[in-house]
Amino acid sequence: MTDLALLLSLIVLAMLVIAGALAARRARAWRIGRAARVDWAAGLMALPKRYLVDVHHVVGRDPYAARMHALAAGGLLAGSSLALIGLIPALGDARLFWWLTALAFAAAFAGGAMVGRRRYPTKPARLSGGRFQILPFLLAAYSGGGFLVALDASLGGALRPLGLLGLAFAAIGGIGLALQIDRGPMRHAFAGAAHLVAHPRPGRFMDERATALAPLDLDAPRLGVAMPEDFAVNRLIGFDACIQCGRCEIACPAFAAGQPLNPKRLIQDLAASLQPGGTNAAYAGSPYPNARPVAGVGGPGLPIVGEAAMIHPDTLWSCTTCRACVEECPMMIEHVDAILDLRRFQTLELGALPAKAAAPLMELRYADEPGGRPLTGRTDFAAGLTLPLMAQKGEAEILLWLGEGAYDLRYGRTLRALVTLLQKAGVDFAVLGAEERDCGDLARRLGDEAGFQRLARANIETLARYRFARILTADPHALHALRNEYSAFGGTYEVVHHTAFLDELAATGRLTLGALEAARVTYHDPCYLGRYNGEVDAPRRLLDRLGIARLEMERSGKRSMCCGGGGGAPVSDIEGERRIPDIRMGQAAATGAGIVAVACPQCSAMLEGVTGERPAVHDIAELVLMAVEKAGTAPARSAQVPA
Amino acid sequence: MRIALLLSAGRHRVSGRPAPVPVELQALRLAADLAQTHGGQSGGTVTGLHAGPEIGPLTDALGHGLGHLVHLRMPAEADPAPALTAALEAGGYDLILAGRSGQGGEDTGLLPYTLARALGRPILADAAALAPGAEAGTLSVEQALGRGARRRLVVRLPALVTVHPAAPAPLPFAFAGLRRGQVEMREAAPSAPAPHEVEERPYRPRPKLIAKAAAGASAAERLKAATVAASGGGKLLVDPAPEEAAREILAHLRALGLIAPR
Repeated sequence: MTDLALLLSLIVLAMLVIAGALAARRARAWRIGRAARVDWAAGLMALPKRYLVDVHHVVGRDPYAARMHALAAGGLLAGSSLALIGLIPALGDARLFWWLTALAFAAAFAGGAMVGRRRYPTKPARLSGGRFQILPFLLAAYSGGGFLVALDASLGGALRPLGLLGLAFAAIGGIGLALQIDRGPMRHAFAGAAHLVAHPRPGRFMDERATALAPLDLDAPRLGVAMPEDFAVNRLIGFDACIQCGRCEIACPAFAAGQPLNPKRLIQDLAASLQPGGTNAAYAGSPYPNARPVAGVGGPGLPIVGEAAMIHPDTLWSCTTCRACVEECPMMIEHVDAILDLRRFQTLELGALPAKAAAPLMELRYADEPGGRPLTGRTDFAAGLTLPLMAQKGEAEILLWLGEGAYDLRYGRTLRALVTLLQKAGVDFAVLGAEERDCGDLARRLGDEAGFQRLARANIETLARYRFARILTADPHALHALRNEYSAFGGTYEVVHHTAFLDELAATGRLTLGALEAARVTYHDPCYLGRYNGEVDAPRRLLDRLGIARLEMERSGKRSMCCGGGGGAPVSDIEGERRIPDIRMGQAAATGAGIVAVACPQCSAMLEGVTGERPAVHDIAELVLMAVEKAGTAPARSAQVPA
Repeated sequence: MRIALLLSAGRHRVSGRPAPVPVELQALRLAADLAQTHGGQSGGTVTGLHAGPEIGPLTDALGHGLGHLVHLRMPAEADPAPALTAALEAGGYDLILAGRSGQGGEDTGLLPYTLARALGRPILADAAALAPGAEAGTLSVEQALGRGARRRLVVRLPALVTVHPAAPAPLPFAFAGLRRGQVEMREAAPSAPAPHEVEERPYRPRPKLIAKAAAGASAAERLKAATVAASGGGKLLVDPAPEEAAREILAHLRALGLIAPR
């Protein structure tokens, strides 16, 4: 072992000590959070799989970033570990060992070069600057220096001058990297690992969608999150895991529309609030578009939301809860949960929600319907159709949940199509009629957990009176609430979306479909169906049965873009530069399709609201009905007409 | 400033379920804003008062910014006026707010007037905004008139003010406010039942009456009759001399046939 190699090993040891001390200091800051039930042992056991499979599955969507990270992180860890165990004399004296070490550092250097290549000469807008811009130099210095020292050692000290130079670089780069561990880019390394171990939604690593919101204890001393210490410990760890890669800001529809929300910035503001006397001044990424002025100061014991705090309320209310940021985040951070926790405090404790959002919640409280419309009016769309009522039948194979869309004149046409299809296929179904209340999705996403829980319990009580095998609904928001969120209140149902159900009817031959020739159709995935419930195949399968040309938009499936209609965003109505549905319709038009197929009343309303020349908007149920009617007029049937 | 707010047992206009009356929640907002921003050195307090058999969802007013709610329990058929008068007198309130009309039974718009007479206080109708008057002990009231017109009046406190639906929207409901707030239940002294029976029917909007022209009149005359009646007619005199004003009034009454022609 050369003396330089020994010094390199000692530098790694020093780095370890510095990083350990800084990480421990940061970890102590996490302890202000509320206690969370975390299975640490299971999390630790699962860490390698969570990191190597789940995280890299997301990272790998950008192959350059995946290779960059594998080289930089892998080389850095391998080189540093090898240099450290080189202190064991038997290993340290082996030339082959240092040859291996040099190889690892060379890989890290290549990774560091890729980091630099990505940021220089021009840095993509989504990446943060500041400390992040120094990172490639620190990486190159440390890994390049380590490489030279290890190379020298592998040759038995033949390159001593180069080795000396390398040692100097390794010392500067290595200590520089270690100092980045508590507030700089390297924080993601240890906070990310801790986040993966203590993740608040472990189901996400077990092939579950795990998207249901956690119910709030309405007897808790404080409802929702006002200050950093109101977050659970594992939520605080999650904020620190952010590496500011900016994939969330590209995916965020509110960001694209110029509304004052940037998920990356939000997470950074939350992480900054953890520090006593924290400010948002160190942040060097894209700002909130059209940011409203805030004081930008925070810390434990200080409010997070408000003009005198870190985050402006408009930022909170811009979110459509579409989960696109969560889907894109390679660190598996739960942005939407954080926004909902903050909203809950604003709504339940302060009553500080946007003025236009207060009215629907008030109507919900006294009329169980956000528009204040009579519950008996829910079935008005079906005038002229026979709509069997559960109250009369008592049981049916399928309970058809109509949802809020039933009051909308445009969407009423979709529901008429669905009901007609059910009748043609001879499905035994019934509706609740005036007994159906709002599912509570709007109330919950606006932070009114008390209103949601009341509605959920009332609906569960109603549903308990009837016998049915499955609930069918055309509203993905109702589907998500009934399927995933009512179970916490004792209502467990098998819920099927109308696209999956119609696909089933077509597959079993209960519906005969004709071909809609020459129609070019693109399908817009509803967030609450695709991302929240993972159902992206059934609607496409069904569309393919219609004999149409199906085109895919630039963003589709689980990575689809929101229509702007979720999370109460239409009633909060935060001002931006563009409208989200206009952006989405632009993407649809770019495919050259003449029809945008939708599968959600919100998407239908938002996309129909786009003005100018654009593709037509049709729910899949309407397209299926067209195909069924086409089949009905086929020659095969005309032969049955009596002569 | 001590403010009392009268809350009546309302019903939701569509579902018919018990609910606070929206205009009373608007009155609550005016009261809360006045107490918070212009409460003076002592700060303001707002107390809600309801007289009736059940408090029901009126407790939700606590979520809309009310700190303290008093329920004067009495049988459904009892007259609420004596109990309210007694409570308002005992409370020593500077300002008593009420909605311009309730939604049923005895909570009609008449109750504030009955109370004002019993308390011997001035009453001012249809406030859309409140602010402290320039002089201590006065209140500046913006009164909502027809067609969006506003009139600013100053009233000497203590007084009763009824609030118009043109006032700002209620403060959003905060569940924690409901959780924190207190309801104080008092048994009201027995009082005679309400003086007369009222027939209750659901409200039905009726078409506006259009003046009819005499039978056999021409189309132009029918049109004129309809449009003149709808536009209100009359003559606007701005700051007239008393002589001239008296002459105009007499001429108008004469035209209506209410006094003998000269």
